[in-house]
Amino acid sequence: MEEKRTPAPAGKELVKMTGIMKEFPGVKALDDVRFNLYSGEVLALLGENGAGKSTLMKILSGVYQRDDGEILLFGKPVKEWDANKAKDAGVAIIHQELNMCTHLSVAENIFLGRELVKKERLDNDRMNEETREILNKLNIDIDPKAQVSDLAISKQQMVEIAKALSQNARVLIMDEPTSALTSKEIDDLFKIIHQLKADGIGIVYISHRLEELQHIVDRVIIMRDGHFITEMPYDINKMDEIIANMVGHEIKEKFPHVACKKGKKILEVKNLNAGPLVRNVNLELYEGEIVGIAGLMGAGRTETTRAIFGIDPKESGQIFIDGNEVIIHSPADSIRAGLVLAPEDRKKDGLCTRLSISDNIALPNLDMLSSGPLGTVNRKKEKEMVDQSVQSLKIKLPNAQVDAGSLSGGNQQKIVVAKWLARESRVVIFDEPTRGIDVAAKVEIYNLMNQLKQSGIGVMFVSSEMPEVLGMSDRILVMCDGRITGEFMAGEATQDQILTKATQFEKK
Amino acid sequence: MSNASEKNLSPVKRFLSQRGMGQVITVTIGLAVLCMLFGFINPNFFTYRNIANLLRQIAPTLLTGVGQSFVLFTGNIDLSIGSVVGMSCMISATLMCHGVNPWVAVLITLVCCLIVGYVNGILVSKCKLPPFIATLGTMTIARGIAQIVNGNYNTDSIGEAAKGFRTFFYSGKIAGIFSAFWIAIIVWAFFNYIMGRTRTGRHIYATGSNIDAARLSGVNVSRTIIYVYVVSAFCACITGLITCASTGTGTMDAGTSYEMYAVAASVIGGVSTLGGSGILLGTVIGAAIWGVLQNGLQFAGAPVAIRNIVIGIIVVVAVLLDVIVRTGKGKAKKHKAS
Repeated sequence: MEEKRTPAPAGKELVKMTGIMKEFPGVKALDDVRFNLYSGEVLALLGENGAGKSTLMKILSGVYQRDDGEILLFGKPVKEWDANKAKDAGVAIIHQELNMCTHLSVAENIFLGRELVKKERLDNDRMNEETREILNKLNIDIDPKAQVSDLAISKQQMVEIAKALSQNARVLIMDEPTSALTSKEIDDLFKIIHQLKADGIGIVYISHRLEELQHIVDRVIIMRDGHFITEMPYDINKMDEIIANMVGHEIKEKFPHVACKKGKKILEVKNLNAGPLVRNVNLELYEGEIVGIAGLMGAGRTETTRAIFGIDPKESGQIFIDGNEVIIHSPADSIRAGLVLAPEDRKKDGLCTRLSISDNIALPNLDMLSSGPLGTVNRKKEKEMVDQSVQSLKIKLPNAQVDAGSLSGGNQQKIVVAKWLARESRVVIFDEPTRGIDVAAKVEIYNLMNQLKQSGIGVMFVSSEMPEVLGMSDRILVMCDGRITGEFMAGEATQDQILTKATQFEKK
Repeated sequence: MSNASEKNLSPVKRFLSQRGMGQVITVTIGLAVLCMLFGFINPNFFTYRNIANLLRQIAPTLLTGVGQSFVLFTGNIDLSIGSVVGMSCMISATLMCHGVNPWVAVLITLVCCLIVGYVNGILVSKCKLPPFIATLGTMTIARGIAQIVNGNYNTDSIGEAAKGFRTFFYSGKIAGIFSAFWIAIIVWAFFNYIMGRTRTGRHIYATGSNIDAARLSGVNVSRTIIYVYVVSAFCACITGLITCASTGTGTMDAGTSYEMYAVAASVIGGVSTLGGSGILLGTVIGAAIWGVLQNGLQFAGAPVAIRNIVIGIIVVVAVLLDVIVRTGKGKAKKHKAS
């Protein structure tokens, strides 16, 4: 990507917030926070999970009401404020989880709630035409009549951006826009962002992927624990300073790699086939090593872990643990055999968000906690197990009876892991273990992976973050198109080599 | 709250701090108010005779409510309950009329009903049919079976031989209270234990809360869903036997609409139709409110039409209150995620 950055602040001040206070029962979420945004700039709002970024943006977009403080929008003070007023005034927010009626067409979504009519009937032709114009202006190649559910996530996101612009948005807030995109799609998104910038739109960009900021961001505002910490022009060379401001203390080593003696073979997967994205996969895992699986989105990494763990059916293949073949038809079989998986999508696959933390941790371990003809759960044992897991993972909790869904992303991830630590597993597979969690929590997850490795458990993880794969693995497998296309020892691999293998598609 | 304070909770406090207890406390207060209201309107409301009757009336709603709650805990629904009640009533009565030993008849009836529950479970869990459609189908089939077993006629009286059967399931008294109520309470207590204290109960909550996460945690979700439908059919079967014992004949349309009363008792008591939340104690209170309203309004001389309207309103208001309370709380909680 070309490095062209207009010096910030470029245009006039679109938003100015001062002295913003917000208190939720028992927690001061925002304390005297200030914030501003200029036209034609991309501002990164940075901070760990729970720093108050989302709360601040929800106040700006009218989802929450502020307790105190002033908002100036386009120079005018904002008094009565709610989500609809914000939208009408030109403040749009694009959430991490997209908000669309996926059964409707692109044009129908863009004009939802303000459909054009002609003689009391829907004027579909005009809506499609206007949608095409908006999309063309952004150089987005999408058919206005396409059903949204048929589009890739990246395209759906672009439709959301187009929708916001069609409603004359001048302030665009993007919450983790790249978390589900491939690098090619990210490039496309950045092109659009550059274009919006040129049109004088102010963009607030919230992301945990600090590396990608260099391509688009002009200025950063850093928050911590509900406070404004600092603002500075973006400078790639000041990354350490930015991170230090986010966490409040310097993180010495980003990837705490620990060397271990390689022991005997724990896991062997032979000729595994399961659908188009798992084709003849062979892999081995030894005691005392962490194997990282790299690859682009859609390479079949998640599918491979799902097939091994028994979520998706296998067409063929054998799995050996400690030299013995195990038959795995379901996750229950796999858990019994000592192979567990911390899945990629915490909310969908990892946690029962409406059950308590205690229930979640105990769930896969009830076989060890219950006895008698009816399977009565021993509450004392359960409490001991939960307390021990919570303590060993340093999970900060009010108590173990609160809903798992109320925790921050990092803590949720720890709960997903905690479920498995109480068991004597042989192999732990992590799928995207650090997605969407903050820097400090990431390091804790890394430490945990090291602990597992040191205690002789086989650790395998899938990650889309190349530095993470390079930093944490002892051995790296690269996948492309459902096949394993490369294998590297950690010290020998470079990003370029991995990427070459990750794009080694079969000639059709 | 620290871990220390959690440890020091007295048993009473721990009981009250259970998940889902909030709604139960609310409706219990509602129940008390209703009872006082009806006691005030009608001095005969609190007589032994009426209370004994009331408890007997509650039994079918409580039993089917327990079954329906189990299914609702997993986020599914069972529409076949009423028809299974009818089927149970007709099969047992027909067998007894033909001179089959009552206890053998009970056993055969039980097997037939559990098969319906098992089929429901298979259709929903393995064949992935929407539960509404699957149980709509079995509801119609079960009603058809109820009609066909005695050639599309209600049965004659089940006769003297079945006196023991009638005493056991309905008219016998322990501590002055009819056995129908005792049976319902025992069934409830057993399943309450299953839900609250056992592995199966946890699996049921987990399946209802997030079926994918439950499966990935090693829960056999298909077996769990089959289990709840079998429990539901079991409860419906017992209800049918009680109905048969109460009238002494088999009636083909016995149990009509019971599945809906069962939903009402469950949701009044705080069981969510979305799955994963609620406790069986709530279902008892829900069934009691249902029974007290029926009984009290009848006593107050309200016609059936008015009774229906009032009860319908109560169902909606009870759930509405719960939604309001929960969304209020939800707003306060959300900030933690940000």
